[in-house]
Amino acid sequence: MNSASVEASNLSKAFGQKQVLQGMSFGVSPGDVIGVLGKNGAGKTTLLELMLGFTAPTAGAIRVFGHESHRLPGAIKARVGFVPQQDELLDQLTVADQLRVIASFYSHWDSALIERLCGEWGVNVNARIKSMSVGERQKLSILLAFGHKPELLILDEPVASLDPIARRQFLEQLLTISTDGQRAIVFSSHIVSDIERLANRIWILKDGKLDWQGDLDSLKESIVRLHIRGTGAELPQFRIPGVLNVRRDGAFATAVVRDWTSEAQAALEKDAAVQVEVEMLGLEEIFVELHK
Amino acid sequence: MKAIARLVFSYFTGTPVLRACTIGGLALMAIDFYFVATQPQSGEKLWIAILGLMFFFVGSSLMPVMFGRLARSHSVGVLPGGRVKLLLSAFVTILLVALPVGVLSPASLIATNSSLAEVMKDPRARDYVVGVAALTFSSAVLFAGWMYLAMWFLTSQRNMAGLFKGLLVVMLVMFAPAREIHEFTVSLSWNLLQIAIIWFVFGAGFLWWPRFKSARARHTGERFAGLAGVLTGRTAGREFDVMLGTANPWLLVAALALPLVLMTRFVHETPSVWVYFLTIFSAVTGAYSGQAVQRSRALWLRGDWSRTALFSLVERSVWRHNAHVLGALALVIVGVGLDAGFPATLLAASVPLLVLGTILSTYLGLMNTRGLGWLEIVVAVSVMLLLMVLAVLIARERLDIVGIVAMELGLAVLAIVLRIAAHRRWKQLDWMMCRPDRALTARGA
Repeated sequence: MNSASVEASNLSKAFGQKQVLQGMSFGVSPGDVIGVLGKNGAGKTTLLELMLGFTAPTAGAIRVFGHESHRLPGAIKARVGFVPQQDELLDQLTVADQLRVIASFYSHWDSALIERLCGEWGVNVNARIKSMSVGERQKLSILLAFGHKPELLILDEPVASLDPIARRQFLEQLLTISTDGQRAIVFSSHIVSDIERLANRIWILKDGKLDWQGDLDSLKESIVRLHIRGTGAELPQFRIPGVLNVRRDGAFATAVVRDWTSEAQAALEKDAAVQVEVEMLGLEEIFVELHK
Repeated sequence: MKAIARLVFSYFTGTPVLRACTIGGLALMAIDFYFVATQPQSGEKLWIAILGLMFFFVGSSLMPVMFGRLARSHSVGVLPGGRVKLLLSAFVTILLVALPVGVLSPASLIATNSSLAEVMKDPRARDYVVGVAALTFSSAVLFAGWMYLAMWFLTSQRNMAGLFKGLLVVMLVMFAPAREIHEFTVSLSWNLLQIAIIWFVFGAGFLWWPRFKSARARHTGERFAGLAGVLTGRTAGREFDVMLGTANPWLLVAALALPLVLMTRFVHETPSVWVYFLTIFSAVTGAYSGQAVQRSRALWLRGDWSRTALFSLVERSVWRHNAHVLGALALVIVGVGLDAGFPATLLAASVPLLVLGTILSTYLGLMNTRGLGWLEIVVAVSVMLLLMVLAVLIARERLDIVGIVAMELGLAVLAIVLRIAAHRRWKQLDWMMCRPDRALTARGA
């Protein structure tokens, strides 16, 4: 019995000549709340849609609950929820009708939950969808993905069109869902603070590759800014392992490094005869530094 | 002025293909004008100008698309004079497209009958030619305006309302001017009056639309929501069909009904027109399936379907929808035919043609899983041409029934081939390759 929600090995995807993802391997387990970060065009949507089986990998494999994502059987699909970047609502319907239509595809639709969330989120079930604002449509898209209580919830920039209050409500709901440890959530977002607040694991996509995957604390411990102070007027020449960028100014230097350890710090202090202070960075700073 | 010029320039040269069409069209019209101006009795070379005009018109086809996008965008509201300039750019484009017709028609009239120098000598002949030029030009302005409007409806609103509006405009353009010309009721003053009214109404509506929209939102609120719900919503039924947009075939039947009513008003006893246009309608019915690929994405995660199984379900759902419309079209041709006394052989050949039109366009729509490429465009245009040729042949007085049956059998074989192609493509369906435009722009994230 395979307990992983998603498993990918050596996953690659190209559109014609354009290689979007290459050689990615990862796993998603119940209880994971994974925040996917990447610049525009990094391949976040492609990665999420590969998980959902919307498209087939060019190379490698991706399995959802043990099944090849491109050929998911119905029982597995019923365990997956998805909030797309662009909503796929039916403009002609009312909210209630749209909810009824989607609910009819599932045997375990939780109407009470949806009714409660509609009330809490201020979604008018009698409103016609074409008259709703972008934010209201997004709320409805999220509700449609929640109703069958999926074990794997995939969200592609779900909060981009929500106001701060709705965003907070949505994140709280997502936290509630994730606390039972039975579900896995994978979501992409440009709002780094949301990822920082919600995710227990971070994936950073860069140039079609998974540049970092791990928990947030490890990431923060691994990528740090060093403040280096020399003893003389000028800093001696030295080499910093895993340096991302460095700026020298007389007897001082600052450097951002990855995979930093206390052993590396001790070695640098001893070899170059310098004092090193380590500054922890926020997720946003880490993201920016990784992309400099 | 600069903004209007830039917009107009972009309409004609926005893409390499359109640029080539515009330049080619202008070159062909210049060549024809050279013949007309320099060679007496060269009126029969008018086909060069007509070809050039068609290229020139196609060259400007970005106008309704760009106009529609800009008109709906928020940015047009913050650009200085944005809506006015946009409106004027559309009007200037229409004038430019109509201008060659206004110049070439009287020029060819002169060339066929006399020479420019002789006409200029005679004040009565000169006035007559100027009158013809003005009349032709104003008619062309009207015609081009309507055609752009139809293109805008068909390309920007990819739904039933857009289809309905586009068909309605096409029908009006096809029959109203033809009837005026046939009955000699067309006149310059009537044309100018129509242009003035149309542009006044359209311009006022376009410029005042944002204020009207906000006022309506403030005052009417939900007042008409109930009525709109009754008119637009049949939401019960098979949920699969609702998601696919095939739940209510009667909407499409209704969209076709008004043009059909107009046809009965103008061309009740002309079999060629009936067969021709009902064949177009049958193809439109099938083409409705083109949206199935994109819409099926939302269904993939909702049921126990492989891509092959999904194709079977979609195919069934599309046919449940299209069969209703096809049935209505077949009833129309038989009903009109019996009423107007069309030959039985014509009716016997027409009904299979309508069926083939729907089948072929249905599978053309379903095989469009990777966006419109050259192959899809070539096949679609070829199929439409074959259908049109067959419609014309069927409506001829001396019907070659063996030839018609052979052609229909050929089209049936083609339908089977398209079905196989659609089925194969759905087996490999990649929803990332067949997204709507707006999603494609955001794909990168």
